[in-house]
Formats: sequence, structure tokens, C-alpha cells
Amino acid sequence: MMSDRLRAFSGQIIAVGVALLLGAIIILLVGESPVRVLMTLLRGAFGDQEKIAGTLLQTTPILICGVAACIGLRGGMFNVGIEGQLFLGGFAAAWVGFTFSLPAGIHMLAALALAIVAGAAWVAIPAFFRARYNTNEVVSTILSNYIAVLLTSYFTIFLFKRPGGWSETPPILATAYLPEIFSFSRLNWGLVIGLLLAVGVALVFRYTSWGYGVTMVGSAPKFAEYGGVNVKRQGFVVLLLSGAVGGLAGGVETLGVHHRFMEGFAPGFGFDGLIAALLANGSPVATIVTALFFGALRSGSLLLEVDTSASREIITVIQALIILSVSAQVLIKRRGDSQAGERRWKF
Amino acid sequence: MEILDKLINVALIAATLRTTAPILLVALGGSFTTKAGIFNIGLEGQMLAGAFFAVIGSIWTGSAFAGMACGVAAALAFALAFAVLVVTFRANEVVVGLALNILAGGMTISLMKAIFGTRGSIVGHGIVGLPKVQIPGAQALLGSWAPLVSGFTPIVYVAFIAVPLLVLFYNRTRLGLYIRVVGEKPEAAEALGISITRVRYIASLLCGLLAGLAGAHLSLGYITMFTENMSSGRGFMAVAILIFSNGDPLKVLAGCLLFGFADAFSLRLQTFGFPSYLVLTVPYVVALTALFALSYRARPKIIKETLASMQKLLSVDRNSSPVDKNPQ
Repeated sequence: MMSDRLRAFSGQIIAVGVALLLGAIIILLVGESPVRVLMTLLRGAFGDQEKIAGTLLQTTPILICGVAACIGLRGGMFNVGIEGQLFLGGFAAAWVGFTFSLPAGIHMLAALALAIVAGAAWVAIPAFFRARYNTNEVVSTILSNYIAVLLTSYFTIFLFKRPGGWSETPPILATAYLPEIFSFSRLNWGLVIGLLLAVGVALVFRYTSWGYGVTMVGSAPKFAEYGGVNVKRQGFVVLLLSGAVGGLAGGVETLGVHHRFMEGFAPGFGFDGLIAALLANGSPVATIVTALFFGALRSGSLLLEVDTSASREIITVIQALIILSVSAQVLIKRRGDSQAGERRWKF
Repeated sequence: MEILDKLINVALIAATLRTTAPILLVALGGSFTTKAGIFNIGLEGQMLAGAFFAVIGSIWTGSAFAGMACGVAAALAFALAFAVLVVTFRANEVVVGLALNILAGGMTISLMKAIFGTRGSIVGHGIVGLPKVQIPGAQALLGSWAPLVSGFTPIVYVAFIAVPLLVLFYNRTRLGLYIRVVGEKPEAAEALGISITRVRYIASLLCGLLAGLAGAHLSLGYITMFTENMSSGRGFMAVAILIFSNGDPLKVLAGCLLFGFADAFSLRLQTFGFPSYLVLTVPYVVALTALFALSYRARPKIIKETLASMQKLLSVDRNSSPVDKNPQ
């Protein structure tokens, strides 16, 4: 058992290495030195305490989105709509933040609660059709992303624009802020929420019968059905929870970092979270590590744009290459397995 | 009424044909992989790569058609990567497809920055757009209806001609039949000695070919520029169409015309002062609605049985059974 895990882990590391090598070649192709890019990334991510706090700040939404993706993946559902849930959650939290005035603390919790509801509500329709009619959730959640982003832009610019501002809502009241941890950074308690969530979800999967049922549906749906799990209802609930956590990510981002909703406020965090979860093989605790990795890449890429001629999207390329080589590696091991048409991401 | 006249006219139909072409091409490309039993969510990335390299090729060679060839080559490279990972390594097709889409997005932006030093879009730089084909005699014969058949770029004609060709391909050629067998009954294909691997590779590459053409149409035909993520979900809409059409070319055409119309109509609505953000959601909403409304294949048993019995009652009048799915 342990050696299996160790082998999978070392395979994962090798795959990341291969991807970084390919990434280095691409960096050479765009006319930059890979060593310089790497050093700039490292300096941008861990250069001093502010940079490290910046890395953790970027890690927070990726981690929460990653946990959202993990919940889906464990239950055999690809929630590719985390990006959209993040945007709607972010807007919902901002709306509570600037519309109502409540006592400190309660205000923040109310905003986060509405963010969670917004995320879950947004995924409810794809989840319903997936559970009832087996409508492919990958496509429906991807398409709903585009609608969510445009819809929040519409809300922001046409309905709730800050007077005199451009494409942003009024600022939220200070009673709804997520408190900051250090004085020198916007790093806030959202990170703690993310860490607790990751550990909590991992514990639920490990120690509760519900969590066991979810994992069972994800890995062997027929077996789960014979074992008495209501597979359809479980799929619905899993997607709903995944969307709820996606919405929470948006709420945390709004209340902790921006303190208002802006058009395009958190681009790509949802996808980064999904990639982090895939790289972590659907394990919420391992997602902490992969989210930190991607957070560091993202934070380092900010300096990349300043100090080198490479664009910061080069890290997107590296992320994609990592996932591609990991997906190939997982299956090199299984090449001897049966030809049967099953092709599901294995855990 | 006057507003309706302004909204719906020959120009709108012509615009519909123009907006239908890219999504039709990419969806027809996807029909190869769908028929071969591969769920190809990577269409979006292939299309984007095609659009970007078509512009690059057009700038470097000064020829629109050489640019188109470059775009197709790039899309083929993505399709080949997809096939290697999915068919040979049997990696998860959703993961690979999504990763290739992300790769295409990041790569095009990075290369744009490296080559042109700009972000956002490539305009000018000597991009040569595809010529518009004027069909001789169209103006004389059809008068004001001429824009419906004449004045499109060649790729638009290719897209619409491809529909009947694909119908013939699936029903009348050996390769078409092989692709369908591999998709529907891989065991039967194996028993017949058909190489599943080879057929799936061919299907993936054919898909890349059409996706590349679709991309080239976006950046050289529809408008003459490249912008970040300019495929803007058309590849995903194509996948939605493929899911409910099961890759049948005629149904694909019907679905694509619906989206092309939604696209053209929403552009039209924008000029009438509707909030652009809401108008822009129209194609996606249409895609989702169609996907949900038509996901009947797995309707609950009771509805399916009721419909089946009703069909039986109705078909008593007819002589032949209406469905003959497997010609083999």
C-alpha cells in the first residue's frame, strides 16, 4: 500500500520535472533564459516576507477552489464551473458588504453565507440535469462560466456601479472585512479558512460513511449503487457542495483582498484550483501543497512581467504541461490494464 | 414592425451564415472524434491555436492561404498531442482536453508578447485576410438576395459543403464506417480486425484539420485580427452541439445555425442599445438551454417507455420500421 503511494508520488514528481523541462524549452523559444525566468519566479514568490505573504495571498483562492474541485473529483464529477461560482460568490459577498450594515463579524459571516449560497445555486441547474438526465456536467459548467462572468460584469457596471468609479461596486463596509493577519500584507484569515476546509474535507472523506459513499460513487459507481448508495442524489449533492465551496472562494477573495467587486477580479483562480486538485489526485490535503506551488508560480509571475521580457502567461503554459505529463504518467503505469473503454481520472 | 424589419433582414441572414461557419467547422471536426467514441473537449484550444498561427503565417508569408495552412498545421499539432495522450497513453480525455485548452490560451498570449511585444490583440502588422468570393451572376440573378450566396470567404463555403460530404463519408465510405464502428462497438471493430488506435488517430487528426480551418476563419475571414482567447467558448458550444446531435452532420448543421443566428442576433441587439453584457450571454444561454432541453437520451425510464409505446401506436400505420441504426 505504502509503496504504491510512494511510487505514485515519485511518478508525480517525475512528471512535474518533465513538464518543467518542456517549459524551459518553450521559454527558450520565446527568447528568454530559463534560468533567469526561474530565478525571477523564485525571487518574486519568496524574495522577502512581503513576497511570501503575497504568495500565500495568491494561494488562498487557489486552495479553496482546489478543495471545491476535490469534492467534485472524489464523487466522479468534473466541476469545471468553479470560475463562475467564484465570480458569483464574490459578487454576492460584496453585495451584502455594501448594502447592509450589520455588527462586525456577523456582517462578514452573512456575506460569506450568501457567497456560499450563490455558488451552490449557480451550479444547481447543471447539477440537477446531470443527476436526473445525465447531461454532461463538463460542458454545462464550462458554458455557465461565461454567463456568470458576463452577468457579474452586468451587475457591476449597470446596476451597482460606484458613483464616479469604473467597473467596480461601492466598497464594502469595514464590518464585513476578513481581518488581516500581518500588518505588512493584505494576507488575511481566508488562508486559515482554506486550510481548515482542506483538512476538514479530508477528514469527512476519511472518517464518515457519507464521505466513503462519495468516494465509492466516484471510483466504482456500480458497486456503490449495489451497496445502497443513491448515486443520483449523491452526484447532485456533491456538485452542490463543490459549487458552494467555489462560491466561498469568491466571498473570501472579496472580503479579504479587494473589499469590493471588480470586473475580472479573480481571473483564472477557478481553473488553477481545478488543476491543483488534479495534480493532487483529488486529495484535499495534498491540494494544500499543489495550491502553494501554483500560488508561488502566480505570485512570482508578477515580477516576471517586470524583470524579464517573458509574459506572465508562461506560467499557465507550465501548469498545462504539468497536467498533461501527469495525465500521461498516470496511464503509462496502467498501460498493461484492460482495453475496456473506461477512461476516468483515477485516484 | 419597423424594428422587426430592421432586426431581421437579408443582412442578418448573411451575418448568420458568417457566424455559423466557424462553429460549424469546429463542430463537424468534433463529429469525427464523437463518432469514433472520443469526448473531445479540446476543440476550443485547437481552434484558438489555429486562429493564432493563421495570423502569424499570414504575416510571415504575406499570403492568406499560406496563413490558413499554418493555422491548420498548428491545430493538427494540438490534435496529435491529444491523440497521443488519449489514445496511446489512455489518459483521461477531459483532463487532457482542458489542459490543452489552457496550454493554447497561455501559449498564444506568451508568443504574442514575445513576437509583437504587445498584450491583448494583433492588428495590422500586414495581416492578409482571406479574399471574398464573388459568385459571378449572383447579383443579376438574385438581386438583393445576392449576399446570401456571394461575397463570403472560401472557408464559409467549405463549411457548408462539408455537411453533405460528411453525410456521404459516414454512410458510403469504408473509413466513415470504421470510425462509426469504433465509436459504437469497439469490440466489433476489434473482432473485424480494425485497428482502434489507428482509426482514433485518424479521427483526431481530421478533427484538428477542421478545427484549424475554423480558427483561420475567425482570425483571417470573420475579422482580420487576433485577440486573446478569441475563440471565446465556441469550441465548448460545439461540444454541446455534438452531445445532443451525436455527431450526425445534419443535426450538427441545425444546431450550428441556431447558434450562428443567436450570435448574429445578439450582435444586432447590441446596436439597439441593449446592455452589451447581457446580450453577449445570449449564445451561451442558447447553448445551455439546448443542451438541457435535448438531453433526452437518458430521460427517466417512465417517460421513455411512454414515448416508446406511443411511437409503436403511431407507427402501426406505416409499413416499415422507421429506425435502422446499424447497417452492419
